[in-house]
Amino acid sequence: MKISIHTLFLRIRGILQAIATLLTSAGLASAAMMGGGGAVATAANPTSGIPVVNATSVTLVVQTVNKVMHDGVNVPFWVYCQNGGGMGGGGGCPVAGPTLQLGVGQTANIVLNMMMAPQEAAPYQGHTIHPHGLDVAQSEDGVPETGAPVLGDTYTFAVDAQHVGSHMYHCHVHTVKHLEMGLYGGFVVKDTNSAGTLLNTINHGGPTYDYEWNMVLSTVDPAYHNNNAVGDSTVFADYNPKYFLINGLEGISSTAPADTLTAATGKKVAFRLIGLQSVNAIFQIKNASGAAQSFTIYNDDGYALPSPITTTSIEVTPGSTTDIMVTLPTTSGTWYPQISYKNLRNGGGYTNGTVYNKLVF
Amino acid sequence: MINVLAHTRLSVRRLFAPLLFVSLFLVSTVSQASSYTLYIKAGTHTVNGAGGTTIKVWGYTDNSAAAPMVPGPVIESHEGETVSVYVYNQDSRPHNFVVAGLTTDTIAIPANSNKTYTFTTPNAGVYLYSDTLNSNVNREMGLYGAVVVRAAGGANVTWTGGPSFNYERLWVVSDMDKPRWNDIASTGGTVNTSVYKPNYFMMNGLGGFDAMRDPATQITGTVGQVTLVRIVNAGQFDQSLHFHSNHMKAIVVDSARVTPFGDDTINIKAGKTAMVLFPIKYAKQTFPVHVHTAQMETANGVYLNGAATLIVGK
Repeated sequence: MKISIHTLFLRIRGILQAIATLLTSAGLASAAMMGGGGAVATAANPTSGIPVVNATSVTLVVQTVNKVMHDGVNVPFWVYCQNGGGMGGGGGCPVAGPTLQLGVGQTANIVLNMMMAPQEAAPYQGHTIHPHGLDVAQSEDGVPETGAPVLGDTYTFAVDAQHVGSHMYHCHVHTVKHLEMGLYGGFVVKDTNSAGTLLNTINHGGPTYDYEWNMVLSTVDPAYHNNNAVGDSTVFADYNPKYFLINGLEGISSTAPADTLTAATGKKVAFRLIGLQSVNAIFQIKNASGAAQSFTIYNDDGYALPSPITTTSIEVTPGSTTDIMVTLPTTSGTWYPQISYKNLRNGGGYTNGTVYNKLVF
Repeated sequence: MINVLAHTRLSVRRLFAPLLFVSLFLVSTVSQASSYTLYIKAGTHTVNGAGGTTIKVWGYTDNSAAAPMVPGPVIESHEGETVSVYVYNQDSRPHNFVVAGLTTDTIAIPANSNKTYTFTTPNAGVYLYSDTLNSNVNREMGLYGAVVVRAAGGANVTWTGGPSFNYERLWVVSDMDKPRWNDIASTGGTVNTSVYKPNYFMMNGLGGFDAMRDPATQITGTVGQVTLVRIVNAGQFDQSLHFHSNHMKAIVVDSARVTPFGDDTINIKAGKTAMVLFPIKYAKQTFPVHVHTAQMETANGVYLNGAATLIVGK
């Protein structure tokens, strides 16, 4: 689409919405509560503070967030933020945008408001949302090179039951820069019942879970984040990640985990592994003595596998998602779900390249 | 670096027990034979467009008077056929010709010498051929290509008894580290193979700007039509190719047939092959297919001149 009256309308509407957002403080609080719905399990993002938001009506803006990494280095990120939540205090929105949630039979209505958004100069100005894995039409695909507006847009689409599972969204403007900067989030499609209530099934008609844990995987090469690293630059000819994240958090040891979930014994936990990193990644669940625990894989790229697979290690490759489930023991304990990031050439590891989460039951 | 998880590095794709390749050496089948002649030469290869450049390469070609081809000529066969490849090494260095999964002779062909390789192709699929000598340097320099083995009888099926398709495409994806590998090796220097930072990423030897316009690389069709994409990763970096607009069915992963499963991003390990069936979902709409990892989308940092092409609905 070209810059048109439609785009102009969107821009004006976006500005009005941003003003409306600034006039109310309800945005983030209501978003966090919307993750529920009668039959949906608890604890979508245990401690990382990433809200779960219904995609049927959401406005996202883009903000700059500065994060101080474990070694004291300050790295600027660009993040999607619901309704401008976090502006004006509290340090801004988390790295990794809100997890968008959509039921089968519902229609997504996602407004990207460019009000005050940090951006590059032409030809890479603006931002978009690419609903990655949702198989949307060109007009909703968020790709500037095939006509997507970059100065604000509304994304409208529905999905079928095949898509019940995990997907992702990210900016598709100068992706080599904008994805790295943090413009991404998880996108979860859920089964619905006849009343339209979201269900906690791992895939269409599949088994149910009691807890769900979204894990957005990403990596950070601080050189890409430098304010001067814009446009077509040889900075983007090489990738040297220094920081490794789950849900925007480092978690470099089991005693300083990125995310912690506390669950009841004997319950089922669904893990949604959402691969937005630029290197390979291995997921495992280890107990306190380091033994890898079995889990069962149900979906790949948000599509149900022909039959579930039980294993102790799964690779989450860049741009892919995996949905798994595990049944917790009936006696209490602690597990450490973890991601080990690996280089693309030979699978070698990185310094601080394992990110730990903690699961207490 | 030692990867302690190497034996457990599994993805969903790899967890499917590869289907046993049933030997198709059917006694009653009349085998066809085809023969190819390849020349190994030094020369240059150009990636066009912004960020592009001319890179010194070594490659296979089917014309002794022409420049090396990157990738080399496609060798085509059918299930059960015999293929003979006469390889003439016109370069000043030793080289070889190995088809992963089909041949085992890795002995060098000395400079200005030749050798004939004869092999059968029992199973339909796609195979990487390359020069396996010199710690990956020879392959990185451009000495690679694909063997395409189609179903017997010429039907548009993936293999005898396999799913059907309307169109077929071959994508040979690869990477090159021009300053640290090609510039050094081409002038007789010793490459430090412990450091590899490729700055060019190609699909069928093309940067994204060309591959997105190349009718032989693009996926096309009317709604519901299916393209069989045979993918060979001749590079040293694993590739994750994301298809916009629709899920595909992965049928070969890590060079082995798998129980078909839905996928929007297919991971092809370095030196391995994959095959997917991609159905067109939208008429008269255009979408990208691209690698989903940072620098691999670029030509020396110039965006979208890396590993990318288009899906064009008719």
